[in-house]
Amino acid sequence: MTQEPYGDPASLLRSVLADLARAAYGLLGHHADAEDAVQNGCVKLITAWPRVAGLATPGEQRAYLIRIVLNEALQILRDPHRRWEHPGVDAAERAVTQHSFEDEIQAKEDLRLVWKAIGDMPDMRRGAVLLRAAGYEYKDIATRLGIKVSTVRSHISDARKQLSRTLPRG
Amino acid sequence: MSTGNSPGEHGDVLHWLYQQGKRRAAQVPGFDAEKLMGRARAARDAGAVDFWSVLSPVERSHFESAAQLREFPPGTALMREGERAAEVMILRAGWTKVVLDEDGQERVIAERGPGDLVGEGGTEPGNVRNASVIALGRVQALVMTTASYAAFIDEYPNVPDLVKRQTHERQTGRPERPWSWPGSSR
Repeated sequence: MTQEPYGDPASLLRSVLADLARAAYGLLGHHADAEDAVQNGCVKLITAWPRVAGLATPGEQRAYLIRIVLNEALQILRDPHRRWEHPGVDAAERAVTQHSFEDEIQAKEDLRLVWKAIGDMPDMRRGAVLLRAAGYEYKDIATRLGIKVSTVRSHISDARKQLSRTLPRG
Repeated sequence: MSTGNSPGEHGDVLHWLYQQGKRRAAQVPGFDAEKLMGRARAARDAGAVDFWSVLSPVERSHFESAAQLREFPPGTALMREGERAAEVMILRAGWTKVVLDEDGQERVIAERGPGDLVGEGGTEPGNVRNASVIALGRVQALVMTTASYAAFIDEYPNVPDLVKRQTHERQTGRPERPWSWPGSSR
């Protein structure tokens, strides 16, 4: 892998696109929404390119792009009107357990509070938490964000405490 | 342990989210890097700027005399994606949509109305349109050629010239001054 920083936004995007796709889809579960998140991230990347081009290593540039795409995905997640394309196992569970209408409302409200709390976290912790919520292991998160595994652990641990305070009934 | 669908029913919310994300990770769709980049550029260029309202009366009258007021019936194109960009336009009346052609499907990326500058790509010679701009109703626009726009900007250096800033960034690799594109975020 080259140690020279990327010279243009398109080559940076190509090198990290598989990660962006997985992270955005892991969070959003919806193809078009995930595509939107990556695209919106690319708009930010292009406009911020003079700054991104000045980053010292390609790893820092990749981490930057991953974080802005995750933030775009988070924004889309917090839209109360969005729908899931692949509800996965949850839909089957819901059919079996027959939650009441009140339970459904409560679940939505819980989730809203969780995403809001995550959105308010400091940049790196939010990145670590969003990658975790997209199904990544600690060492993958560390590579993607260009930080140490122990740092990821402490971010996740702090976030877990913070989130359990957000939903005290848990 | 409950298989409920509420994060609140789980002691560890983060673990619940992680398991949901892991399930979906197996079904990751493929994205086309070139298509995404092209769309991102078009979306950036479509950033709305109420250009007219920031001009002084003198600048407005100069702009009007150097431009041509044209009228576009509903549904007609002010500019088309892929065409050479030789003009910039300020919308004076009516609304437009900024659209991309995606494999024959139309995708609306923005709406532009009175005061907005459209077709910023046309402020530099040799550019190609990133998107089409279609009149939603009857639209009046002040149309200015690239050369006249360059002369206009030279004469009034205080005019917020977005494109000059972009060009400056391309040449020097750094922004002239901090600037974020309005409307570029969701």
